[in-house]
Amino acid sequence: MHNRMKVTLLVLLAALIATPMAFSQGQAAAADDAYEVVTVVKITGIPWFNRLEEGVVQAKKDLGLNAYQIGPADADPAQQVKMVEDLISKDVDAICITPNDATALEPVFKKAREQGILILTHESPDQAGKDVDIELIDNVDFAKRSWDMLVEGMGTSGKYAIFVGGLTVPLHNVWADEGIKYAQETYPDLELVTSRIPCGEDQELAKQKTLELLKTYPDLKGIVGFGSLGPPGAAQALKEKGLAGKVTVVGTVIPGHAAPYLKEGSLTKGILWDPKDAGYALNWVAKYMLEGGSIADLKEVPGIGAVTVDGDVIKVDAMVDITKENVDSFGF
Amino acid sequence: MKKLLERHETYVLAIIILLSILITSFNPNFLTLENAFDLLKSNAFTGILAIGVLFVLISGGIDISFAATATIAEYLTVIVCLQIGGSMLFAFAMAVLIGILLGMVNGYLIDRFSIPPIITTIATMNLYYGLLIVFSKGRWLYTLPPYFRSFADIRILTLSTANGLPYGISIITAIWFALMLLASFILNFTRLGRSIYAVGGDVISAQRIGIRVRMIRVSVYSFMGALAAVAGIVQALLVQTVAPNSIVGKELNVIAAVVLGGASLTGGVGSVGGMFLGVMLLAIVQNGMTLMKIPAVWYDVFVGLVIIISVGFSSWKAKRRSSGAIIDVQEAPRTHSEQTAGGSR
Repeated sequence: MHNRMKVTLLVLLAALIATPMAFSQGQAAAADDAYEVVTVVKITGIPWFNRLEEGVVQAKKDLGLNAYQIGPADADPAQQVKMVEDLISKDVDAICITPNDATALEPVFKKAREQGILILTHESPDQAGKDVDIELIDNVDFAKRSWDMLVEGMGTSGKYAIFVGGLTVPLHNVWADEGIKYAQETYPDLELVTSRIPCGEDQELAKQKTLELLKTYPDLKGIVGFGSLGPPGAAQALKEKGLAGKVTVVGTVIPGHAAPYLKEGSLTKGILWDPKDAGYALNWVAKYMLEGGSIADLKEVPGIGAVTVDGDVIKVDAMVDITKENVDSFGF
Repeated sequence: MKKLLERHETYVLAIIILLSILITSFNPNFLTLENAFDLLKSNAFTGILAIGVLFVLISGGIDISFAATATIAEYLTVIVCLQIGGSMLFAFAMAVLIGILLGMVNGYLIDRFSIPPIITTIATMNLYYGLLIVFSKGRWLYTLPPYFRSFADIRILTLSTANGLPYGISIITAIWFALMLLASFILNFTRLGRSIYAVGGDVISAQRIGIRVRMIRVSVYSFMGALAAVAGIVQALLVQTVAPNSIVGKELNVIAAVVLGGASLTGGVGSVGGMFLGVMLLAIVQNGMTLMKIPAVWYDVFVGLVIIISVGFSSWKAKRRSSGAIIDVQEAPRTHSEQTAGGSR
């Protein structure tokens, strides 16, 4: 018994040591004359970044890059810093990164650039220490479009509520701030019933909050939800209370998830950009810059769209409306 | 002991009643059958997990891994059901089997190697959840088998609102209540149940009167696993989507509800009735905040206050009762059991 356990432990230990080596060998085997462009995402294993990886894979194929994607198992800034440090010692050509924490990464970015490694960021326009940032949406336009969508559904007057993923999620709260500002100027008769509710990353909670809102404000006419689980949760609650289509629900959704709700009419419309485009655009721009291209001369990313260059931030207009007609065409 | 337990439940109940009066004075929609049924449905998931946690706490342990267990049972079951068809009964049976298996691993590790339960279950939580993410690649399951949808819509009692919309007691609520009855029966009327209290109260004494501690521990964690699995399926029924990351992170809420209901983190104390009140108190606080039009930034503050007030009040009462000479009689054996619990084997 005792001996058997020892053997088992040894085998396990050996397996643990061997596993990372097996992984790293897989990466080293790729072509060695191609540019090595590594995409570091916030967190691996969630649908959003799986979709982004599809863009990386396509870029690898189309552009002949040695491109691949890595990321921590949870959204941990320290692990991202560690990964960038590892990539610096590996001496890659470019790092495309979606930062978990903009300031935590500044020092390693500096170190990378001193070694001549290109740093491209995504979803972090105010990032210090980068070479260039690429955004697929303009946050102000994105917020305005969300509110326009809400008004298309509920009309220019009436009560509405806002869901965000959390009160500290930067992007969601930027959209909410911009949207409220836009609504005050453009649609003064819209009435926000209560401050933004943090339930957009939890479908069951979003459903429960919607039920409560309906009991508290029976004349509620619309909900704008940021965080991909807020709008579907709201839609579920409306369906249950026989209010599908009577209360407008718009916001960020993942198409594959939102499809049944859009089709039954409990969800009015979704808005999003395709993370695959982001993965592709990051790698395309990386190659463009590695080959000596200048950002100032950049006019478009082929296959994605026209770009606007603002200093070291590149905006590609890739915002899309998700409706019951086009929802099945996204493939994610 | 029994009397003290009842006292605690009375406090929680009193706070629930006070809170209900307060919320109703702001919004009469709170005190309606419809709201009550909605609450009982959406809190069934937490409530079912709470039953398992109650057993673990009574036995003197703790489990952090149940959310991971619930997710794995939910995910694997739905994948298999999508492949082979299956039925609702099959789904529950398969999930429960997975849950028991994962729970047994916890119980065995804790007892065999004497690793503190919190460390063991933090480790298995990471292990279970990590493996799930590796093999599922975080893929969400958007389309569930059709019987998941039709089953979730079943009501065992249907009423109508003023404008003719049906509402009622969901089958999901019924499952929760049936499990609470079962748990209550096990705890109060079976040898197993009484042994769980004995092990949680004092391991040494339990061993001396001939209770097989390992068997009890493995049973308790397996039961936790089984309930986590049922909760996982209930979650799938409620949201109609399975995401590998949707349950993990809710552990503390469940444990808080159970402790709020009078279960002791040091073992030996707790009841199903108290647990139910604990779950409902948290549910009502969260429900009431929106109904009272409290801005969302204040939610956490409010929840924290209610927990402190309700636990603090009854603890303070208990402390006052046991002040003076009684302290030696009541507290002394307790500290003894805590000291010896770790190295008892």
